[in-house]
Amino acid sequence: MTSAVAAAPDKAHIPPAGKVSTWLSWLVGGKRPLASHLMLAPATIWLLLFLLLPVGVLLAHSVAQRGPYGAVVWAFTSANFARALDPKYLPVLLRTFGYATTTTVLCLVLGFPVAYFLSFYAGKRRETLMVMLMIPFWTSCLVAIYSWIIILGREGLLNNALVSLGLIQTRFQILNTPYAVILGMVYFYIPFMVLPLYSSLEKIPRSLIEASYDLGAGAPATFMKITLPLALPGVFAGCILTFIPCMGDFLTAEFLGGPRTYLIGNLIQNQFLMAQDWPFGSALTALLLITLVVGLVIYQKIEARELETA
Amino acid sequence: MKGRKLATYCGLIYAFLYLPLAVMFAFSFNDARRNVVWKGFTFKWYALLFHDAELLGALATTLKLALVAAFIASALGMLASYAMTRHPAFRGRGVYSGLLSVPLMMPEIVMGVGLLSFFVRAHIPLNFWTLAFAHAVIALPYTASSIRARLLSLKDSRLEDAAMDLGATEWQAFLKITLPLARPAILSGALLAFTVSFEDFVTSFFIAGIGIVTMPIKIYSMMKFGVTPEINALACCLLALTVGLLAANKVLGGASEA
Repeated sequence: MTSAVAAAPDKAHIPPAGKVSTWLSWLVGGKRPLASHLMLAPATIWLLLFLLLPVGVLLAHSVAQRGPYGAVVWAFTSANFARALDPKYLPVLLRTFGYATTTTVLCLVLGFPVAYFLSFYAGKRRETLMVMLMIPFWTSCLVAIYSWIIILGREGLLNNALVSLGLIQTRFQILNTPYAVILGMVYFYIPFMVLPLYSSLEKIPRSLIEASYDLGAGAPATFMKITLPLALPGVFAGCILTFIPCMGDFLTAEFLGGPRTYLIGNLIQNQFLMAQDWPFGSALTALLLITLVVGLVIYQKIEARELETA
Repeated sequence: MKGRKLATYCGLIYAFLYLPLAVMFAFSFNDARRNVVWKGFTFKWYALLFHDAELLGALATTLKLALVAAFIASALGMLASYAMTRHPAFRGRGVYSGLLSVPLMMPEIVMGVGLLSFFVRAHIPLNFWTLAFAHAVIALPYTASSIRARLLSLKDSRLEDAAMDLGATEWQAFLKITLPLARPAILSGALLAFTVSFEDFVTSFFIAGIGIVTMPIKIYSMMKFGVTPEINALACCLLALTVGLLAANKVLGGASEA
């Protein structure tokens, strides 16, 4: 090895073994793709091992059979999927889809004006209001659920307040109904909607809006023709970010709902922890994943088209 | 006029968001076994918390878990973000970028049951470390995006180029220039990762095994067991901690923008 000749013209080549600092420089310098791949390797291996491989096992289990005592027997079957779609369980899947859609729409309708206000009117208070939006989002959802139980219960604060104000005579049931579950979900996921909406509203050049006013368009026309179309990427992102966790939710339904608000998340939890039917649970999880992947693909298609037309 | 109406509307939404927190705060001082009627002011639920050995044990476990997860997620996030932002474009960068954001898109229940199936199938015992490794996965997108943003904003300064012109090797420039400049973002990412791990319930619920009780798992079993005002006091303490972590993150974020 005549190092003087080899090293000078082509530093980017893999350095000779031995000198640690030369190696580190080569790695950090990144003049070779191999260096980049090596630096990304730890994160990649981590994600393969603890994210993709588990999903793979889950998919494999979803076409396996259930053995005695909750064991999994490797024998191909599509019975788990057939079972998930039979009339006993189909309503659960449809209900989950319905709740997730309702929650997403409600979050959009309720959250859009908030994002609009934060972006266009909040001024100096914007920073504070953004942080205030994040605090409930970072609070443990169990704790918030517990508070909602206190508020919504039959003997709870809401009923107490309404009775003592004389607005109602008989206490009404809201806890353990679909309304409570959807209220809880809207509560948890509205920040997921507001944040992307806000960031896309922020990106709209204010001059475009002024130009629209200068050219004689009124506020409604400006909103429909300028603001809304330019905010669409945020709308789609917000909808996806709200819809996905809603589909997988099981805590809200477990505590705020009742037997008639059973969601796919509850069903999955039950199969894994109580019924010990892992193949069936895996098939349900696979169906959930398929729905989400379809949603994400649609989202990317729309986003790509938005970019093209922009 | 329009702004005024919108402001009122926002006030209502914020009131909705803060109602449960306010209720929890108020009732943590309520001197009644049952939660719905105000019986008088007391600190006894807080006092009870600090004498609950199980709870303190759960707190210790949760803190340790969050520290380990935040450390792993920061280290992996730093290496990955550096290669993504500082290295010249290479084939497959898009794939990596997609892969790094997968945990954000994965519903937690899928993570939970997937990891459970995987660990059981691979005969890996469920313990503290498996849980910490899983938390690191959930936290990774937060550290990676925080550090990536900082490294991108540093890209124009070319301080490393200057250092290398003055004779530093790439490794020296990385160690003496890039790493110190990226430190606020690494710390702020680590704090987010810490919070993510600290608050995580769903994944832990499925793979905690028998011996590991984290704070959210403890709260869950308290809620299953029945309504006790102790939860309100506990929740207030946790909320104070979360707000503290977010404030620290905000300060660090400010430092990294400067």
